[in-house]
Parts: sequence; structure tokens; C-alpha cells
Amino acid sequence: MMKPGFEEEIGLIKKVIVDFWDGHRSNLAVVSDPFRGETELMDEVEGMIGEEGARINARSLFRDLKALNEAPGRIVVVEEAHRLYQRKVGGFEAIDRFLNMLLASDRLFITTWNSVSWKYLDEVIGLSRHFPQKIRISRMSAGEIRKMILSGYEEKELTFLEVELDEEELKIFNRASRQKTLAGHSFEIPYPAISSRSIRSRMDRTEKKSAEEIFFDRLASISDGNPGVAELLWKEALDYPEVRNVLKDPPSIDLHRDESFALCIVLSMGSVEMEYLSEVLEPLGISALNISNLLEEMGLVTIDGEVISVRALALKSIFEHLRRARLVW
Amino acid sequence: MVSMAENTTGTFSNLSGSSNVPSNVSSNVSSNVSSNVSSNVPSNVPSNVPSNIPDLGIDSYAIINALLILALAYVAARITVFLLTALSERVYEHRITIKMTIPIAKFVIYGFALYHIAGSVFQLSAVQLVAFWGIAGAAIGFGLKDRVAEVVGGIVIILDKPYQVGDMVEIEDYYGEVRDIGIRATRLVTPDDSLVTVSNQKALISILADANAGSREMMVVVDLFIDSASDASRAMAILREATVTSRYVYISEKRPVTILLKDYPFYRRVRSKAYVYDLRDEFPFETDVTRRAWEAFEAAGIRPPEAGIIDIGPGSVAAGR
Repeated sequence: MMKPGFEEEIGLIKKVIVDFWDGHRSNLAVVSDPFRGETELMDEVEGMIGEEGARINARSLFRDLKALNEAPGRIVVVEEAHRLYQRKVGGFEAIDRFLNMLLASDRLFITTWNSVSWKYLDEVIGLSRHFPQKIRISRMSAGEIRKMILSGYEEKELTFLEVELDEEELKIFNRASRQKTLAGHSFEIPYPAISSRSIRSRMDRTEKKSAEEIFFDRLASISDGNPGVAELLWKEALDYPEVRNVLKDPPSIDLHRDESFALCIVLSMGSVEMEYLSEVLEPLGISALNISNLLEEMGLVTIDGEVISVRALALKSIFEHLRRARLVW
Repeated sequence: MVSMAENTTGTFSNLSGSSNVPSNVSSNVSSNVSSNVSSNVPSNVPSNVPSNIPDLGIDSYAIINALLILALAYVAARITVFLLTALSERVYEHRITIKMTIPIAKFVIYGFALYHIAGSVFQLSAVQLVAFWGIAGAAIGFGLKDRVAEVVGGIVIILDKPYQVGDMVEIEDYYGEVRDIGIRATRLVTPDDSLVTVSNQKALISILADANAGSREMMVVVDLFIDSASDASRAMAILREATVTSRYVYISEKRPVTILLKDYPFYRRVRSKAYVYDLRDEFPFETDVTRRAWEAFEAAGIRPPEAGIIDIGPGSVAAGR
């Protein structure tokens, strides 16, 4: 993956480590949405602590914290610490033990958390009280995304093409219709639909932006400033040495309550095993297999063997939908 | 039209004859009448019909016009209600805010229609309005006072907001979601899908409990009763986990989850107080928490009280719904 800057975040982490060596311990939580580049950030941290620390993924700690106790070094990096809980009765034992261990230990813990899980656990068990230092990986601006993506190319190596809208696409109001059935007869109800693409195109022309600026503004908007998502979209648009602005708005989502809840569980972990999802959903009478297949069909998750992951390109829509449904607080 | 004008004038003439109208009023009125009649009546009809009461200008055309306006207002109100309801269900997060505007929109539409009828169709002057309200007052006093009290009650409900469309309320013995605050009555839909109509006047004077007061989230209390010998601390921990892991729960700093324990002589009550993120999820939430908590209770060896011991008593949340 391309590496986002993280200058600010790395500065803060360095300070926490220096303070620790000076005798002041403040456990650190790094909170981010999926695909924000937290793994790359931890790669940097691992380089900083060297032999003095250990790096463990919480996936291996859910059943047993033994590996954490036995980890060498005075600084411990725990990645994906949100994997220490399950949203079910009896699903908080591992995280309770982990937090108790944190309180009793004299080692420094640097942890990464999924933002959805962090918010949930903060409301449920007051998680933020255990971490005096917090870093929230912020969204990247269009300029930052541009800098990150173009860092791998020479100047003027790429050509950004303007996409000309045809006559039909330039209309602000288009005719749309909805199919209705009344007394057994099917008919169409026409209504005017506003074309956001046309409005955007007209605004860009008014502001006289270059094709490159228009592309990166749109990339930042669709990816919601998420570097992982932006990179995927970039790959779709790049037809070396040409870059076409073919970025489409993320799909709107219409899900039932149970489907939304299942999607929320997947989002709160980034990716989950089918077994994990079944353990959470089966007590509610929801089939994990059926619902994950349905979510995959709708383009919201991807299933790779037994692992279900949030689809990066749908991330913005998923967040918007779950916030509207108040499943993400 | 001619005979209508004559009849109307004649009738009012008789009425006014039996009343003690002051002489100065009477002279003014008769001059108005003669000028109105002479301008409206064809030439073959005598224009100097003797009368000393005001002509309200009510002819069949005006009445049809007024009825048409009322019909249009009714259609406009129905369309507005339909559109706002559809919009509120689409824009899920602002459902209650949008629904709150429905009764206001209805009152505005009907109010405008009545204003238009009085002002433009009947073209009532100040004197005529006084006369109209005098007659209306008498009619209301004798036969329509309950209806008027209901309409006034509706206006007070909209302005004072003891409850709003979308709230979960208990009026008298009926509990349900307020679906509509109409001109005359408030309609609730109970959990078993019955439509209950309560007159606005009655709703105002009754003792009323509003579970969410305009907010989308709502507190739900779940009571579970356990045997006195069972581990109460474990039961509280399980009920807490069943509550916070529910797919319907909403937790924030202002909407915390509270678990309470109360000891009774032969059993204990474990109570969970938490918020659902949509008041329509009250009963699914209660069912979800109760079912999963009891499954975990059984696994942990927590037992229900012996049969015949619990006397929930009237007014209990668990007994009521």
C-alpha cells in the first residue's frame, strides 16, 4: 500500500515512547476507520521501538492472553485490539482481562482500534479511561491524497483526461420514473431527478480547475479522505499513462434491520471469520451464512474463504447508512 | 339567484323585526341593503325591498364556492399528510421532526381555507363578521360546543406540545404511538395494532404519560425475576451484557444503561433501564433482552422464582404491557 504521511501521528507516538523511558507511562490508543493505514503506521512504530518491544495481533489473544504475558520487551504493540470482544452475552471476558492486565502492568502498551468498536466499547465499558493518550487518524485532504499517490511518479509522467459529458448528461433535471401498481394495472409515475454529476461538472468549469485538481477533489470526496480506499479508486482510474475521471458515486444502501446489524458487526471488526459472525448472529436467530452472502451480492462485503471483509469501495456508503440507522454512534 | 336574494333578505328582515336593533344601526344597515340589492338584482325585480338587516351576500354561487374551497382544503391536507408521512419514513433519522409538522400543516391549510371563505367568498365586513360570530356562538353554545372544544384542544396540543406525532404515550388506559393529531381527535396505534381515537379535549384533560417527549430514542425497562437463592451479582452482569449487546440498544453519555436490583421477601427483581434508538423497537428490544438473558441465566444456574410466589401487582411495567 502507498504510505500516507502520518508525520503528526508519528510525532505523538515518539513523545509517548520518550516519556515512557523518562519514567512516565501513558498507554496509547490509535483509533481509525478501516483502510486508514494503521498497519503502515505500526510498521513505523515497530521500527522505532526495535528490540525493546514486541508486536502482537489481538486476533491470537481472544482465547488466551498468555502470548501477551510472555511477550518480550518493555513496549508492547497490540494491533486490532478490538478483536478482544464479541458483541454477545459473555463476549467481554477477554477485553476485561486485557484491561485489568493493562492496569497491573508496568509496560507501555501501544494499541490500535477500529473506530466503530472504540466508540461502542467506550460507551459500554468506558474504554477511553484506560488510555490517557489517544490518536485518531484523521481523514486526508485532496492535497494530501494527491501528494501520497503522485509520490511514486515523475512530474508530467501522467496525463489527466477531462471527461466530457454529453448533451443528455449535462442536463440538470432528468426525467425519472417509478413503477407503481394500482388495482392490478402497472403504470409509471414520472418525476424530475436532479443530476449531481451535471451540477458538479458545471461548478468545476466555473471555478476553472485543472483536470488533475478535479480528479483529486473527487477522489478525496468519494474515498472520504481514506488513503486505502483512495488507492483502490486510483487503480481503477489509472490507464497508464492516462488517468480518467471515471469515479462513480458510492451506491446508496437500503437494508433491513438485521442486515444492517450484521454489516455493523463486520464494519466494527474490518473483517471477521464466518465462525465469529455466527457466534454473534446465531443467538439472535440470524443466519450468518445467508446474510453475508446477501451483503456480498449487494457489493458491501467481500467473502474470501471463511473471511468476510468490508468492501473498501463501499465504505463511505456503509458508514452513512449505519449512522443514519444509528447503529454506528 | 334572484329568489335566493329575496328570500334571504326577507328572512333576515323578519328576524331583525323581532329584535331590538338600535335605530342608528338599523338606518345604516338598510342603506347598505338597498344599494347591494339594487346592484345585484335584475331590472324587472323591485329594487326597493324593505329591510333593515345586513345582506351577507350568501347566494348559491358563494355556497358552492365555499364548499369547493373546503373540498380543496381537504384534498390538500390529505396530500400534504401523505407526502410528509412518506418523506418522514424515507428520511429515517428525522422521522419524528417531520411528523411533528403534520398537524401544524393541517391547521394552516384549514385555517387558510376558512379565512379565504370568510374574506374573499362571502366578503364579510366587520359588522357582518360580528353578526356571523353571534349566530355561530349561539349554535356552538347549543349544539357544537364539544366539537369546538375538540378543535380548540387540537390547537392547544399543537402549541403547548404535551405530546407530538411519533411519541409513545399513554392516555387513560391506552398506550401507543401517536400517529395523527387531527382537527378533532388524536389517533394512537397500540402495540397490538388497534387504532384508538381520543378526542383532543379529552387528551388534554387526561393524565398523560409521554415515554419519549419528541425524541427518537426511548427508555425501555426490562424486569426479570429470579429466585432469592440465585447469584444476583451474576444475574446483573448477564442482564447488562444482554442489554448492551442488543441490536436495538442506543447508548451515549446522556443515554446510559442502568442495572438495578431489588429484594422482595421471596424473590429478587433485576431491572435493566436502557434506550432503544427507535421507539418502535420497544417491544422487540424487550423480547430480545429477556430471551438472551434467560438463556444465559439458565446456563449460569440462575433460576426463576418458585411458581405462585410473584405478585406483580397493578401498575407494574411487566404486568401492563
